[in-house]
Amino acid sequence: MARFAVPCGTIVFCMLAYWLSTQFDRVPPILLRGMQPEDFPQMVLLLIMALSVLVMIFDKPIEHDPMTFNVWSSLGLFVVFALLSRIDLFLGLGVFAGALAYTWGERRLWGIGLVSVLSPTLIFLLFDQVFRIRFPRGLLTNIWYG
Amino acid sequence: MDPQLLVLLFAATLGGVIIGALPGLNATTGAALLLPFTITMEPIPAIAILTTIYCAATFAGAITAILINTPGTSASATTCLDGYPLAQRGEAGRALGMATVSSTIGGIISVICLMLAAPLLARMAYNFAPPEYFALTVFGISMLATIGDGTPLKNIIAGALGVLLATVGKDLLTTVERFTFGFNELSEGIGFVPVMIGIFGISELLVQAEQLQGERKLIEMKAIKLPSREDYRRVWKTILRSSGIGTFIGILPAEGATVASMIGYNEARRWSKTPEEFGKGAIEGIAGSEAANNAATGGAMVPTLALGIPGSPTAAVILAGLMIHGLQPGPTMFTEQAEFAYAIFWAMLLVNITFIFVGLFGAKIFARVTFVPVQILWPIVFTFSIVGAYALDQSMLDVYIALASGVIGYFMRRFGYSVVPLAIGLILGGMLEKRLGQSLIMLDDQWWLMFARPLSLLFFVLTILALFGPFFWRLFTQRDSINSTGK
Repeated sequence: MARFAVPCGTIVFCMLAYWLSTQFDRVPPILLRGMQPEDFPQMVLLLIMALSVLVMIFDKPIEHDPMTFNVWSSLGLFVVFALLSRIDLFLGLGVFAGALAYTWGERRLWGIGLVSVLSPTLIFLLFDQVFRIRFPRGLLTNIWYG
Repeated sequence: MDPQLLVLLFAATLGGVIIGALPGLNATTGAALLLPFTITMEPIPAIAILTTIYCAATFAGAITAILINTPGTSASATTCLDGYPLAQRGEAGRALGMATVSSTIGGIISVICLMLAAPLLARMAYNFAPPEYFALTVFGISMLATIGDGTPLKNIIAGALGVLLATVGKDLLTTVERFTFGFNELSEGIGFVPVMIGIFGISELLVQAEQLQGERKLIEMKAIKLPSREDYRRVWKTILRSSGIGTFIGILPAEGATVASMIGYNEARRWSKTPEEFGKGAIEGIAGSEAANNAATGGAMVPTLALGIPGSPTAAVILAGLMIHGLQPGPTMFTEQAEFAYAIFWAMLLVNITFIFVGLFGAKIFARVTFVPVQILWPIVFTFSIVGAYALDQSMLDVYIALASGVIGYFMRRFGYSVVPLAIGLILGGMLEKRLGQSLIMLDDQWWLMFARPLSLLFFVLTILALFGPFFWRLFTQRDSINSTGK
């Protein structure tokens, strides 16, 4: 199934990108030097489509186990992180790290505290104080930034 | 040399050794994760740190390979074959001593080659015009066919996807915006850093989730031992041969330490008087593998610095680091920015000398690093990855790009598409398009004239050989065996 699904998905993606590339602004021929902006991406897309057809024909299918609960839960936590980071980047990181450690089997309170509170705080302070990186304002970062 | 820089390099060596020993982390992931830390630094310490991490992490893979039969990096996979049996026989100290010494010798030989070859190659490339550069970049990308875990077809697709990603943003020649979907942040293109952090770091988190490992047993080791005179007598030819092999493999665009260690190991067995001992604890096996994989680091920096074509996946990250710091790898680096090139040489030489001490005195401690529980390690790595992705441009869009790249990278790996070609394609894509555009302007749109220029023709022929050579070779050898058997 994956033998055809992945190359077919790639081809559909490339066709969509090809269509998008036809919408790029064009340079009037009198000003044009070299290629039109869509020429190069279209060339690459055609190459990917041609190679994907070859993969369907020649490539041996790969046998792999179904995705485990841990992978699904980690992917789910990515979504949770992406949503929470809209409120506060470090809130998202703390919740993600704590929940990931828990779903991967960590039950010790200090372990969960280490990854969800201590390490994001230390990393925040390192980047803020040493590297002078300004993080986006949010629920928690506002406490620091005032 | 600045004493502050020396302290920094020593710290980076320790950091690199820890990264190389940690489960799931390797030199490429380590360099990608540490790239954001170097943003606020001056270019010389920043690049020196990245190259130090590269060498030290490549070496450190041997520690876990010998003591717990788990290669810290894929380049040390062949070290397990003889290192672990030796350790089981109670000779872990001797095995680690041999790994340290052969890594150091391999590394030093390759850095000397780098010092000699890179300026020479750069001088040769100094007169390249855009068609030659275009053909050379195409050759570099064609070499992606043979790297990583994927099949050649899938590797080229992954590389082409990287090139496609590089087209996002303003077209360099016409300034027309492409695939930006109205995001101003995308006008300058997709950043290397978030994509690399995503495909190397975050995708590895998902791979680790798939294989949360069980118990591992650390083999007891009383003390590390320097190889005896008898050991040296047995392995000196192997070390020299593997150093040469590793340096040569490293110089080939895109080929890295893993391929070098496999060839180094196989050649050690082929030339050995006792090949039957290989796999059961042959000291030449460790020397062959370790000298080659460390020699590949210096070799890989030759095309990276002289031509701007990465010699290995980690060199691709270092190349991205050079570009972020406003340096332009290529022939001009040795004339206009020579101090940076020489800083890299000295940093690599120094780290190869430093890790003989780190290896000899710290191996036992570093081996314990592998026992950090993955459920503690990976949430922290994720936090580092996300903050690192944000730090370069201080843009939340980069955070989401890193996250998306991680998920895409995971599924690519799951379906047999290596992520390394994607990273290299992303780095070379912009150069490829720019040089094609410049070539067309130079040749007045008569693209076929590129084949009339001897050097570009040579690179195109090498490209065809790189892509189809293995196929024709197989066909030729099959026909040969059919003829000889008469069937």
